[in-house]
Amino acid sequence: MKQTLNVLAMTLFTALPAFAGETTGLTDDTIKIGVMAPFSGNAASYSKAEVGMMAYYDKINEEGGVHGRKLVAIQEDTACDPAKGLAGVKKLIFQDEVFMLHGNSCSGVALAIRPVVEEAGLPWMIAHAASDSISNPRAPNIFHGLPTGSANGRAMAQFVLSRPDTKRVAIIEHSNDWAHSYSDPARAYLKENGVDPVADLVMERGQTDATAQILKIREAKPDFIIASLYEAETAIFLRDLKKYGMSDIPVMGTAGTDLENTLKRVGDLDTVKNYFVIHSYIDSLGGDKLKPWGDMIKKYNPDEELSTFSFASIGSAIAVVNALEAAGPDLTRSNFIAELEKINNLDTGILSDPITFTHDDHQGVKGSAVAGFVDGQPTVLRSWGERY
Amino acid sequence: MLLQLTISGLSQGAIYALVALSLTVVYRSTTIVNFGHGDFVMAGAFVSYVLTVMLGVAFLPAAVLAVIAMFLLGLCFSRGLIRPIRGGPHIGYALMCIAVGYVLRGIARIVWGREVLPMPSVFDMPPVFIGNLVITGDAMFIIGTTTVLLAIFFAILALTDIGKMVQAVYQSQRGAQLIGINVDRFNDMAWGVGAAMGAMGGILIAPVSLLHPDLGASFLIKGFAAMTLGGFGSLHGAVIGALLLGVSEQYAGAYINSALIDITAYLIIVFVLLVRPHGLFGHKTVVKV
Repeated sequence: MKQTLNVLAMTLFTALPAFAGETTGLTDDTIKIGVMAPFSGNAASYSKAEVGMMAYYDKINEEGGVHGRKLVAIQEDTACDPAKGLAGVKKLIFQDEVFMLHGNSCSGVALAIRPVVEEAGLPWMIAHAASDSISNPRAPNIFHGLPTGSANGRAMAQFVLSRPDTKRVAIIEHSNDWAHSYSDPARAYLKENGVDPVADLVMERGQTDATAQILKIREAKPDFIIASLYEAETAIFLRDLKKYGMSDIPVMGTAGTDLENTLKRVGDLDTVKNYFVIHSYIDSLGGDKLKPWGDMIKKYNPDEELSTFSFASIGSAIAVVNALEAAGPDLTRSNFIAELEKINNLDTGILSDPITFTHDDHQGVKGSAVAGFVDGQPTVLRSWGERY
Repeated sequence: MLLQLTISGLSQGAIYALVALSLTVVYRSTTIVNFGHGDFVMAGAFVSYVLTVMLGVAFLPAAVLAVIAMFLLGLCFSRGLIRPIRGGPHIGYALMCIAVGYVLRGIARIVWGREVLPMPSVFDMPPVFIGNLVITGDAMFIIGTTTVLLAIFFAILALTDIGKMVQAVYQSQRGAQLIGINVDRFNDMAWGVGAAMGAMGGILIAPVSLLHPDLGASFLIKGFAAMTLGGFGSLHGAVIGALLLGVSEQYAGAYINSALIDITAYLIIVFVLLVRPHGLFGHKTVVKV
C-alpha cells in the first residue's frame, strides 16, 4: 500500500509541472514572454536583433493585444555567455514563470540552454541564433523562425552558381563551427551541382594580413569566392584582394556581415563593388519596403540606430502572433505549439522567404536573398542579376 | 610568389619587431615579461584613433601624441603598480600585467563595444606592380617607418650614454646603483619606452587591420615568439626573430597550409625552446657555484 502511494505521489509530482505549465505565464490580460539576448558584454551589439521583435509586440499591444491579452516582454541578459544564459533561462522559466521564450542571439548560449528548455516544455521561438543544432534534432517545443546556417549556406552557393559560367569556386573560412555552419552546406550544394572548390583556405580570427591566402587564390583562378569570415577579417580580406588587383572576382559573404558596415570599414565602394552577402529581408536597409518596419522600431525606440540586425526577429514575431491569434482565447502551450506547426508559407512582409513549420520540421525558413551593390546602391537580389 | 610572400612577411614582421622589441626593453631592464603588453599595443592604436578620427588631428601629430600618452601610461604603470610589489613573488608581476591589460581591454569594450572600427589609410597610394609582384603602399609605409624607428633606437643605444646605462642595469642592478644610476627611475623609463614602442606597432597596424578591443592579443603571442626565436633579452635578436616569424608565417601559409599561419608562432616557441632554448642570439645562462 505504502509503495503504491509512493508511486502515485511520484507520478503526480512529475506530471504536475506539465499540467500546471499549460497556462503558466498567462493572465486574462497578459502573456508573459521571456526575451533572452546579450544586452551586455562584448557581443551586446547582437541584442539589436531583439529590438525589432519587442517593437512589434508594442505595436500589437497598441492595437489591442491578442484576444485582449497584452504581450509582456521580460528581458534577461545572457551576455553571450552560456553560464549566464543557463542562469537566465532558469530564472525566466521557474521564477518569472513566462508562457514562452522568444529570442536569443548567440548560438553557443542557445545550444547550452536547449536541454533545459526542452525539458521544461515551454515554447521557444528562436529569433536570431542560426546554428542548425539548436532546432535539429527536432524538439517538440523549439522552433527556428529565421534561416538557419544550413539554409544560408545553401543560399550562398545557389547564388554563386546562378552567375553564368561559374565553374571554379574558392572557399576561405575561419576554422570554427560558426564558419563551418555556412561553408559546409555551401560545399555540399556545390558538390551536388558538380563543382569541387578549387581552393579551400583558412583565415583565422585576428589575422591582419591575407597575402598568403590571396596568392593561392590567384593561382587557383576562381570565378567566385565564398568567404565565411567575421566582419573584421572580411574587411581585411576584401582590402587585400583589392591591393593585389583581384577585386573583380566576386565574393559571397555570410549573414555575419552586411553591406553597409562592410563599406564603412573598408572605406571605398570600389573594394566592395563585387561583395555579396546573405540578406534575409525583402529590401535593403534604406529601402522603401523596410521603411515601415524601421519606422515601427523607431516609434517605440527613438534612439535605436537601425542596422540589418534590428530587423532580424520581426519575421518570427509575426509567426508567434499569428499562432497566438489562431490558438484563440483559450490559449495553452499545447494549442499554441499546434498552431505554430500549422503555419504554412507565411509571407511575413519582411523576410525574403516564407515561414513554414510542420510537425516534423521546426526550421521554418529555408532560404534567403542576397544583397550586393548594383550601380553603387545596396540592392536585394534573388539570383545573379535578378532583383528581388 | 616567393618574393611576394617575403615582402608581405617583412611587412608583418616589422610590426612584430616593434612589439617584440618593446617587450624586450622591459624584460632587459626589469626581468619582467609584460603579459599585458598586447593591450598596451591596442591602447596606443585606440588613442591614435580618438585623436585622428574623433578629434580630427592629422595622423602624424596624432601618432606622436599617442606615443607620448602611452609613454606616460607605461611610466605611471611602473611607478604606481609595479614598484609597490617589487620584492614579491615573480608571479605577482605577471598577474599585475595581465590584470592591467584586461582593464585596458575592458575600457575599450565599454566605450566602443564590439564594434570593428576603420582607421583611415595613412599612406593611400596605389600598389606598384612589377610583373606578378605587387608592392602595396601599406607594406612600403610599415617597412620604411619601422626601419627608421629601429635605426633611431639602435643609434641611441650605440652612440649615447643611455646604451651604456641599459647594459649596466641589464648586467647588474646593484652594480648600476653603485655607479650612481637611479635604477628605479631607469626601470620606470623602460616601462614607458616599452609602452610607447608597443603603441607605435599598434598605430602602424591599425590602418591595415581595423581596430577592435581584442586587437592586441594576437600581437602578444607574436612578440613572445619573436623574443624566443631571437633570444630572451637580445634587442637585435628580437627584431630578427620578428622578421623571420613574419616571413615564416607567409611561407607556411602559402606552401603548406593556410591554417598554419595562425600557429606558426606557437610552433616556433615549442621548437626553439626544445632545440635552442637561448634562441638565435641569446646567451646560455651560466651559474657559478
